[in-house]
Amino acid sequence: MNKEASVAMPAPRALLSRATRETLANYTYLLPAAICLGGTVLFPILKAIHMSLYHNVLSRPQDYRFIGLGNYLRMIHDPTFWLTLKNSFVWVICSVSIQFVLGFLGALFLNAEFKGRAFLRTLNLLPWIIPGVVVGLVWEYLYQPNYGPVNDILRRVGLLTVPIAWLSQPAFAMASVIFANIWRGIPFFSIMILAGLQAIPDEVYEAATVDGASVTQRFWHVTMPMLRPIIVVATATRIIWTFNYADLIFVMTSGGPANATQITSSYTLLTAYTDLDFGYAATLSVILLVIMLVFTAFYLKFTKGVESVSG
Amino acid sequence: MKRQGSGDLLERILGGPVLWAGLALMTLFAMGPFLWALSASLKTRVELYATPITYIPTHPILRNYVEAWTSRLTPFSVFFANSLWVSSVTMVATIVISTSAGYALARFRFIGKNTLMLVFLATQMFPAVLLIPPLLSQWYALGLIDTYQALIYSNFSFTVPFTVWMLVGYFESIPHELEESAMIDGSSRFGAMLKIIVPLAAPGIAATAIFAFVSSWSELLFATTFTSSTNMRTLSAGLLYMAGQYEVQWGQLSAGVMISTVPVAILFTFLQKHLIKGLTAGAMKG
Repeated sequence: MNKEASVAMPAPRALLSRATRETLANYTYLLPAAICLGGTVLFPILKAIHMSLYHNVLSRPQDYRFIGLGNYLRMIHDPTFWLTLKNSFVWVICSVSIQFVLGFLGALFLNAEFKGRAFLRTLNLLPWIIPGVVVGLVWEYLYQPNYGPVNDILRRVGLLTVPIAWLSQPAFAMASVIFANIWRGIPFFSIMILAGLQAIPDEVYEAATVDGASVTQRFWHVTMPMLRPIIVVATATRIIWTFNYADLIFVMTSGGPANATQITSSYTLLTAYTDLDFGYAATLSVILLVIMLVFTAFYLKFTKGVESVSG
Repeated sequence: MKRQGSGDLLERILGGPVLWAGLALMTLFAMGPFLWALSASLKTRVELYATPITYIPTHPILRNYVEAWTSRLTPFSVFFANSLWVSSVTMVATIVISTSAGYALARFRFIGKNTLMLVFLATQMFPAVLLIPPLLSQWYALGLIDTYQALIYSNFSFTVPFTVWMLVGYFESIPHELEESAMIDGSSRFGAMLKIIVPLAAPGIAATAIFAFVSSWSELLFATTFTSSTNMRTLSAGLLYMAGQYEVQWGQLSAGVMISTVPVAILFTFLQKHLIKGLTAGAMKG
């Protein structure tokens, strides 16, 4: 379509104009995506930063006013915020580490050759793909003190005499939501590590076997080093994702009892959703973003190191 | 783990009993909660609250499904239609937007292209809660609260970056000589993209389409905050609303859970191979 236009112009200018025009045409391919992300990601983030500088409780519009860093000061003096940070830490560490170990085991099992492997893989990966609200509600039902199966099974095995209200006793609530989250996240690690395992050429194992390496030696000296890049990426992605993930807690406990399961992202959500305090919710979400960015920066630095080591 | 031609005892144990026990336990753990929900969805009201609890319904019935589907308070037929519409439109629009952007990023030189790719990837990691206050006030100002558009536009925030990122990889794997020869034959760049590259990338595009559909189908927070009337709720928001009722109807709720789960489970079986490839492509390069 540029052809006719460039023919009609003097040669040197046409060349320049054509190049410029092509560049412009190239940018139009990006335009829809740019508008989309501008409107749903970039602008909202700037808007959130702006909102964090205002006292903005939706139910009290008459109090709306600019308060500068007031919300940030409030956050520093908010004991619940610090509690949620601590809870987030427990939530992330426990969820991700156990997901990793079980997901790794799962990947090793699913990498073996047997009949019906594709079918079993699909079954085992399902918890990861279903809606978060489904995970939350089904586990809420499983934990139900009187007619939920968790108590029933524990009683039948003889581990329990009195039913436990898993989600409403502070001592058990966090462990219970973490357990549900582990169930949901195992397949993620299985998928990633399975792909990593399949990328290791058979010849490497054959060579190691010929050299007399035992199965454990092969695991530690062939499998693990070759999986290292994918393990780093998967774990880092998962840490960030789990830190930000509010759905499960929102559905199962709303952060209760007495904030025992409140993590920073669910606290942010409830500050907006229940308290309608958008100024403070925006402040908390800006802090979530900052934590995420700091972690990503460290992660990128670290993976650069991994890349240069491995190749 | 099982490789032929080795006499290692440990290996035989690992490849035999340990493997089978592990697979059985793992699959039982993964499927248990689904089976419980399926069983509960088929129970009568009496059996749901009976002690001791039963694991296999004695007289399986479909009444919970019928009641959930036709209920006036929580009409799953409406929720289902809403989810289907929102997810389908999100999917189609995402694919159009991302194919164009993915193609451009794979083929053209841009200033700051690598940074842009990094931003696309990082967007995946943004906390969804960050977007809720600003998006809510934005949709409110535009009069879009309680509309499909608000949900569809909001869904772009997570579908577009990931699908662009995945599609760039697919397009890069297609030799650029293919559309160049079409362009020499007189086709425009855009025409060559549509006629040559899109058909070749069809499997990748289909996989990203399913990804966009499944993730929109599962989306909860936007659907809950940006809609308020029952008729606008998606399945996720409808389920949460149902669970918040004074007395939870576990039978109907379990039926709702199955209605929400089965479509994505079916799609996932098709998607699995491609999604795994796409997900791990970035990681494997390192």
